[in-house]
Amino acid sequence: MKLFPEKLPDEIREKLRDGEEVIALAELGKSPCETPGVLVLTNKRVMVRAKDGEEELALDSIKEAYLKTYLNVCVLAVRLDGSVKSLAVFSKSRFKAAEKLATLINNIVIGKVPYSILKKSIIAKRVPVRKRLFRELFARLKPAWPLIAVSLVFAVLLRILDLVPPYLMKILVDEVLVPKAHLEKLYFLLGMLLAIFSCQILLNVVKGYVNTKLNLKISRTIRYQLFHKLQRAGIIYHERFTSGGLYARIFDDVGRLQSLVSNTLERVVINASAIAFIGALLVTLSVKLTLIVLLPIPVTFLAAFIFSKFAPIYYYRQWRKWSNVLSAVSDSLAAILPLKVYRREREYEQRFLRNHREYEQSQISTYKLEQAFWPPVWLVFVASSLLVWLIGGLDVINGALSLGSLIAFATYMWEFYNPIFGLIQSFSELQRMKVSLERVFELLELEEEEGGSYSGKILGDIAYENVWFTYDGIHYALKGVTFKIKAGQCVGIVGPSGAGKTTMAKLLLRLYKPQFGIVKIDGVDLEDYDLEALRKQVAIVLQDTPLFNASVAENILVGKPEASPLEVMEATKLAAAHEFIMKLPEAYDTEVGEKGAKLSGGEKARIALAAALIRNPRILVLDEPTAMLDSLTEDRVMEALERATENRTTIIIAHRLSTLKFADKIVVMDGGKIVEQGSHKQLLERGGLYAKLWSSQLKALTRQEAIALDR
Amino acid sequence: MTADIKLLDPREVKVIGGGIDTVDITIGRNRYFNVTPRRPFPLSHPEVIVFYDQDENEIGVIEDYRKLDRESRKKLEKVLNTIYYIPRIKRIEKIEQKEKRYVWTIVLEKVGKTEIETWSKCVKIMPDGKIFVKDIKGQIFTVDISKLDQKSRTFLGTMR
Repeated sequence: MKLFPEKLPDEIREKLRDGEEVIALAELGKSPCETPGVLVLTNKRVMVRAKDGEEELALDSIKEAYLKTYLNVCVLAVRLDGSVKSLAVFSKSRFKAAEKLATLINNIVIGKVPYSILKKSIIAKRVPVRKRLFRELFARLKPAWPLIAVSLVFAVLLRILDLVPPYLMKILVDEVLVPKAHLEKLYFLLGMLLAIFSCQILLNVVKGYVNTKLNLKISRTIRYQLFHKLQRAGIIYHERFTSGGLYARIFDDVGRLQSLVSNTLERVVINASAIAFIGALLVTLSVKLTLIVLLPIPVTFLAAFIFSKFAPIYYYRQWRKWSNVLSAVSDSLAAILPLKVYRREREYEQRFLRNHREYEQSQISTYKLEQAFWPPVWLVFVASSLLVWLIGGLDVINGALSLGSLIAFATYMWEFYNPIFGLIQSFSELQRMKVSLERVFELLELEEEEGGSYSGKILGDIAYENVWFTYDGIHYALKGVTFKIKAGQCVGIVGPSGAGKTTMAKLLLRLYKPQFGIVKIDGVDLEDYDLEALRKQVAIVLQDTPLFNASVAENILVGKPEASPLEVMEATKLAAAHEFIMKLPEAYDTEVGEKGAKLSGGEKARIALAAALIRNPRILVLDEPTAMLDSLTEDRVMEALERATENRTTIIIAHRLSTLKFADKIVVMDGGKIVEQGSHKQLLERGGLYAKLWSSQLKALTRQEAIALDR
Repeated sequence: MTADIKLLDPREVKVIGGGIDTVDITIGRNRYFNVTPRRPFPLSHPEVIVFYDQDENEIGVIEDYRKLDRESRKKLEKVLNTIYYIPRIKRIEKIEQKEKRYVWTIVLEKVGKTEIETWSKCVKIMPDGKIFVKDIKGQIFTVDISKLDQKSRTFLGTMR
């Protein structure tokens, strides 16, 4: 399915009316389960063109789009005024495309997402097509250019030295061994050979050193550029990649690029120059035989052309399968605790094995592809070489060519063919590396977070003005949210899962940009804020903030590296963490382990809260601050929070509504929209969603707790 | 921030006596007996001390105990040196890897030659340059790199 396609089939373009634009174009019939045709979604209607006719529905007439699922297919259907209409059949393998279409229609007809926002958010998700990859790579490797040049010079020198011994052999056979004379020439030639071999050994040692330095420089340069980009890129890009995929890019792909520059490039230069040099030598020995030697070249070009059409598909598949293997490892390590608790180890082992087998399969398929192309080409080369021996042999017998010349020719013929084989091999490698290069550039070209220049002191007034936001360009997490918070107020945000609560908080730190609408602090658009100034004054504590593998103190100092020990203790006291920290073996200097593994969930939450409070932020956002705590600790943290919210604007996102008892205002969200707002009392009196959530939570409590809470 | 840290003025705190792990102190006119001094940052900021009474209630915090008068400091340090004693590694003779563990043959101050076992990640370098080594049982050792011989420094370098 194509979203906002740039090129349209003529028959579709002709059908469009004034101001009508195509949002999605789905070709049907790719699977035997589907009826051949095409489904077009525009900003005004849905059109379905199939063999047995055409159908169209105005978007205004649609109430809702949905999917009906069956054994092997799903049907995209729409609900109209009092009736239901099935539009098209999709095979199960295209379930996602059908789901996207349904969501797009619903965004327009139910969500009333303006067409301009829809288009902007989908087009923003597109990955630009990259061209001239190799040229861009070499531009990025500018610091390594001198080393690359030196390495190539050494390689060419070595190759030239390789060519001298066969020529000396020819002189040895023709002028010393066959006439059985000129003993002094024998000594001279052997001396020359000794000098050449000694030079080769010396040059190889120096070249090895240069290449090692070059390899290290390339991997450091590119890996640093990638790491730098990942650090600076917006969080939205991080969510696009799996950790396994990122590791594969940073380590495996960069390793291949290193090999491209230090090995493949060298081979291409040497082989190309060797072909030119030896080609000239062959012509001087025999023009007729040289023409026979050249016979396989057109076959090679043809094979290379066809190979380049197929190879990227295979190499990309192989890369993807390897990335799946890495993901299987990183996913299981990241979730080792639940994995053990639910006894899912075997399942993950099976997943690893399955992914690895698929990777092996892809590698074997690639090997088969390579073998389908190149051995037949080699056979042509062998046939050509036999032809040289046949015709050259006849010439020697007839006295038209000396035996030494034929031996030298035959030796040079393979010296001519070997670089051609080398170039073929390099060509395969380049196809493989092109895939790696694309993966690496996909990261290198990520947009870095950019802020404005405003860095004034924040007072704490917050305003969301008609804010629309989507993570994937299709599903909207926020749909036209508008509300204000006054400086110093404590506001609670509640609502069912997926209501958009956390998204609202993340927008406040400019972790994401809304596709439409403005978020303001003190009347200044967040786009205009200097990011460092903004994030120094706005702190967020997420439900599951991961800790660094460092000491407790170092984890708190993340919020303010220059803070004194007293400030650290002040923050932990405010977060009700000081007492438990003092009981740790090395108190604040205790290492917390990987992701804080040595601490309980509640302890981690309180350390994260202290890290936020140490900055004394003007705006504090707490996302489910007590979700991980037992009720006793929750009471203590709530008491601490009540103090922490003094003199600063605070937003508390909570499922447990008891957390919000001291909030000045409560905003209730559902489906990306604000459905109610007011004080706890006002919302209960209104009897809406908040009242429902409240009563369902009361039911879950004991009678005594409920009476205490309801007071 | 408005947390209830009771910051003590070192000029007002006097250490008047002490036991193995406790001291007797006066703060202004108030007397406290069997007070436990604790270091909240024993490695990174050993100068910070928190005093706890017999019931483990916090009495207050001294930002830098070295600002106490000479006599008080001496008495307090005597206790601190007992409860926060960190053995110093004078020399590293060898480090051998045994499966996932590393066996260090070292010479310790006051103890002499001994062996300790560590994991691979066992050396912690503090921002002020102090170096600590933690063995697999949690025992912490300190290293003064300026006093180490070249061989010991090389061994330490392999573990950093």
